[in-house]
Amino acid sequence: MTFGQPWLLLGALAGLIPLAVHLFDRRKPRPHPFAAIAFVLRSQRRTASRLKLKRFVLYTLRTLILLSIPLALARPELRRPGAAVSRAAGPAATVVVVDRGLAMRFVDGQSLFEKVRSEARSAIATLGPEDPITVLPCGPEVTPPSAPGLDRREARETLDRMVPAWSTADLGRCFGVAARALEESPTAGKRIIVVSAFTAGSLRLETPLPTLRGPGDKRVRPEMVLRDVAKGRKVLPNHFLADLKAEPAPQSGVRAVQVGFTVRNVSDAPAREIQATVELGGRVVGKTFLALTPGGTAQKTLTVRSEVGGPVAGAVTLSPDGLAEDDRRDFVVQVPRELRALVVDGSPSPVRYRDEVFFLEAALSAPSSPIRPVVKDASAGLREPLEGYDVVVLANVPAPVPEEVARLKAFVERGGGLLLSMGDKVEPEPWTARMGELLPRPLRLVRAAGSEAGAGDGRAAKFGDVHWSDPLFAPFSGRGREGLMGARFQRYMLVEGGARSDGSDVLAAFDDGAPAFITARHGHGRVLLFTSTLDRDWGDFAIRTSYLPLVQRAAAWLAGALDERETLEGRVGQTVALHPDPQAQVTSVKSPSGLAVPVRGEADHALQIGPLPEPGLYRTYDATGQLVPGSQFAVTLDPADSDLTRLDETQLQAYFGEEAVRGPGGTADRRVPIWTWLVVTAAMAFFAEGLLLRKP
Amino acid sequence: MTSLDAATLAKLAGVKLRARAVMEGVLSGLHKSPHQGQSVEFSEHKEYAPGDELRHLDWKAFGKFDRYYVKRYEHETNLKATLVVDASGSMGYRSGPLSKLEVATTLAGTLAYLLVRQQDAVGLSVVTRAGSADVPPRSAAGHLHTLLDSLDTLQPGGGTDLFAAADHLAERVRRGQLVVVFSDLFDDREEALGRLLALRARRNDLVLFHVLDPAELEFPFDDPTLFLSLEDERRIEVNAREIRESYLEEFRAFLDRTRAACTEADVDYTLVRTDEPLDGVLLRFLGRRQRRAA
Repeated sequence: MTFGQPWLLLGALAGLIPLAVHLFDRRKPRPHPFAAIAFVLRSQRRTASRLKLKRFVLYTLRTLILLSIPLALARPELRRPGAAVSRAAGPAATVVVVDRGLAMRFVDGQSLFEKVRSEARSAIATLGPEDPITVLPCGPEVTPPSAPGLDRREARETLDRMVPAWSTADLGRCFGVAARALEESPTAGKRIIVVSAFTAGSLRLETPLPTLRGPGDKRVRPEMVLRDVAKGRKVLPNHFLADLKAEPAPQSGVRAVQVGFTVRNVSDAPAREIQATVELGGRVVGKTFLALTPGGTAQKTLTVRSEVGGPVAGAVTLSPDGLAEDDRRDFVVQVPRELRALVVDGSPSPVRYRDEVFFLEAALSAPSSPIRPVVKDASAGLREPLEGYDVVVLANVPAPVPEEVARLKAFVERGGGLLLSMGDKVEPEPWTARMGELLPRPLRLVRAAGSEAGAGDGRAAKFGDVHWSDPLFAPFSGRGREGLMGARFQRYMLVEGGARSDGSDVLAAFDDGAPAFITARHGHGRVLLFTSTLDRDWGDFAIRTSYLPLVQRAAAWLAGALDERETLEGRVGQTVALHPDPQAQVTSVKSPSGLAVPVRGEADHALQIGPLPEPGLYRTYDATGQLVPGSQFAVTLDPADSDLTRLDETQLQAYFGEEAVRGPGGTADRRVPIWTWLVVTAAMAFFAEGLLLRKP
Repeated sequence: MTSLDAATLAKLAGVKLRARAVMEGVLSGLHKSPHQGQSVEFSEHKEYAPGDELRHLDWKAFGKFDRYYVKRYEHETNLKATLVVDASGSMGYRSGPLSKLEVATTLAGTLAYLLVRQQDAVGLSVVTRAGSADVPPRSAAGHLHTLLDSLDTLQPGGGTDLFAAADHLAERVRRGQLVVVFSDLFDDREEALGRLLALRARRNDLVLFHVLDPAELEFPFDDPTLFLSLEDERRIEVNAREIRESYLEEFRAFLDRTRAACTEADVDYTLVRTDEPLDGVLLRFLGRRQRRAA
C-alpha cells in the first residue's frame, strides 16, 4: 500500500480520541436520592447488555469515522501485482530486455540478478502463445538477439546462460537493438518488456526512446512495459572504493608504501564502522575504520611496509555490503629495492668534507634512501668483486687498468649500472683509451668556466638544456627545478661531439651546450657520465638541494629501479597497453578467474590487452606457460558504476510514459485507490452512529 | 377561592395550616356543588327533638306527615375512619415544593378536618418498616388537634412494609370501618399490595391515595446520574437518558397493575401527583363518593 500524502497519516491518531474520551473524560455523575430506585435498578438490569453492545458499537463507529477521514486524506492506494503483460490488440512481437549490469550483482537477501531472471521468466509466462518473443540480455556490451519467435525454450535458455556483467548496462542502447529486432518480425504489434532495477547510470534520459518502422513506413514507438525489480527503493545502498593510489614512500623508510584510498557511501543512511583492510604481498599489513554520512566520502592514507622489493601486489578491502564486488580493489606497487652501490673514491682525504665522495656517501646513505653505499679507495675498489653490487660509482678515479675495465664492462653488460664522475685525477686521454667502450662519449679536455670567487676568466656554467621528461629528471619541478638550475660549475670535462651508434644520449647540458649528463647502454646495463665532480672541487652542485634526490635517482635509474616503477592499471571493459621487458616474451594474459584475455602485439614491443573482462589482478605468462615476474597489473571497476541511485517514478513516467510505468494490466503494479472506500466507510459509520443515537 | 397550588401550600408551615387551607378550598368547592350538605352519607330520619339542628329538618316529610323529622347522616351513625399514612423513606422524595409525605399528611389532615367537622371518629395509623404508630379513632373536637399534631411531627424514614402494615390494620381496624391509605406503594414484594387490598374483603371501605412525585412518573433525567436509595444503601450509576424508556415502561406497568388490583378489589383508587392542587384531588374524591352513595 502506498500513500499520496503520507504525512496526513498522523491524523489517524484522531482514532484514539474516543478511547481517550472514554478513559479520561468520564463525567462525574450527579448524585440524586430517588424513591423509585427499584424501577431504575430493574430498568438497568433489563438494558445493561443491550447498552453495553450499543456503547461498543458507538465506540467502534466513532473510531472508524475518525480513522477513515485522515486515512482517506492520505490518499492510500493498494498495489496489486500485474496479472498479465499489457496486451496489444492481437499478438505482439516482444523483446524482453533483461538488465544484467553491475547493479544486478546487488544482494539484499536475494540477488537482484536472480530476481531479474525470475521476473523475466514471469513476464514470458504471462505472454500469449501467439506472441513471438526473444530475450535480449542487456549489459555494457550488447549482442543483437535473434528475431522474435514462438519458441519459448530458446528464450528461457538465453536467460539461463545469462551472467551478470561488471559494468552498468546501457539500457538506451539495448532499446535501440531491441527495436531493430522487432522490425524483423512481421507481427503487427510490437512490444519491449524491460526488466531492470533502473539505476540512474543505466539509462540516459536525454536519449529518446527508439522508434521502428510501422504501417505505411511511419515511425512508431513500440509498446514499453516496465518490470522494476527494486521497486519502492530510492537507492540501492552501497559503499565502495572510489579511488586508490599506492606508491612508494621513501620518506617513511625502506620498502615503505603509502596506500591512499577514497570510500564513498551512496545511500540515504549513514555507514558506520566500515573496516578497511590493506593487504600487501599476500598478508594483511594494515586496518582502519571509516564512518560515512549518507552520500558522504572519506579518504584514508595508510603507510605500510613491504617485506620484499620490486613489484608487489596488494589490495584494499572494505566490509562487504549489498554489492561486495566494489568493496575490494587490487593494486600493484613498485616497492623500491634495496640497492648496493660500490663507491670508488679516487681522491680520499682525511678531512671529511674534502673527501671526493663525502657528499655522495651522505646522499646515498640518507635514511630514506634505498641505496646502501660501500666506499673504497681506488686501489681496493677497482679490485673489489662486483657481483654483489647493483651500481658502481667511479668518482674522480684515475684510468683503470685493462683488467679492471674488463670486469667493469662485464658488470655493466650483466645489468649493472656505472656512474662516472670527473675530477683532477681523470686524465682524458688515458681514460678514453682504456674506458673507451664504456664511456658514452670520449673525453676531450677540462674546461674552466670561472673561478669560485667569481672573478676568474669567465662566468660559471650552469645547467642549460635538460630533458625534463627523462625518468632521471622527471620529478624535478617548481622549486626543485629551480634548485637544480641554480647549481654553478667552474669546471667540467668536454667530450667529443656526435652520437654513438649504441645510442648514447645527452640528458642534460650546460648553458654553453657542453654535455653534463650523458648516458649509454651496454648489454643489460647502463652507464651515466657526469662531466663535473660529485664534490665541491669543480662546482657547488654538491651543496644544492637538488643534489641528494638527483644522485639517489641516478643510482636507482642505473640499477633499473626507475623502470620498474612504471605500474599499469586498467578498467574493466577497457584495453590496456603493457610494455614488458623485451626479453620477457609475454604471450598470454589471464584474468583473476583464469579467463584468457585477448593479447595483441604492437610494433614497439607493447602489448594491447583487452577488453578486460573482470576486476582483480591479471597475470602474464610466457610461451612456456611460466609466470612472467613483474608484469602483473590490476584492473578495477569504474567507480561511476557503483552509484546505484535509482531513477524515481516521476522520471520513469516522464521518459516511458505513465502507462508503461503504472501499467494498465501490467508490469508495474496496479494501483487501486482505496481512499474513496474509506470516505464511503466514514459516511456509513456516521449515518449508523446517528441512527444509534436516535434510537434510545 | 381558587385552588391552592403546591408552591403556595409549601409556603404554609405545618400540616394544620395546609390542611385548613385545603379544607377551605374543598368547602368552597362544595358550596358551589349541587350536593351541598351531602358531604357524608344520608342514613335515616328521626323525629325532631329539642337540640337538633334546624337545618336538618326535613320539610318534605313535615308536608307529608305533619310531624317534624330531621335527617340523620352517616356521621351521625358513628362513622369511624382510620387514616393510614406511609411514612417510609421513599415518601420523603420531592422534585417540587412538596414531598410525597407532605402531600399525604396534608390530604390526611384535610380529611380529618372534614370528618371531625361532621363528628365522625377519625384515627391515624402511621406505617413504617419499624412498625406502626396508631391514634385510635375518636370524634371529639379536641381529637383533631391530636391528629394534626401527629401528622405534623411525621418524618420519613426506613423502608416500606405494606405487608406488615396490612396485617397491623387487619388486627386494629374493625370491620366496616373506612380505611384511607396514603402511600406510594413502593414495596418490593409483589404480594404486599394484595395483602393491603385484602382489607376490603373484611368489609372495610378502603380508599387508596397513591401519592407519586412527577419525577417518578416522567423520569425527566438526562445526564449520567448516581441514584441513591432513600430507604437503604442501594445506589446505581446510570446514564438516565439511556434507561428512561425502560423505566417508564416499568413504571407504567406498575401503575397498571395497581389500578387493576384496586378495581378488582373494589377499592377507591386515586392517583395523586404532588404538583397538582390538593383541593381538586379531594373534590374529585368526594364527588366520586357522592355518586357512589347516590
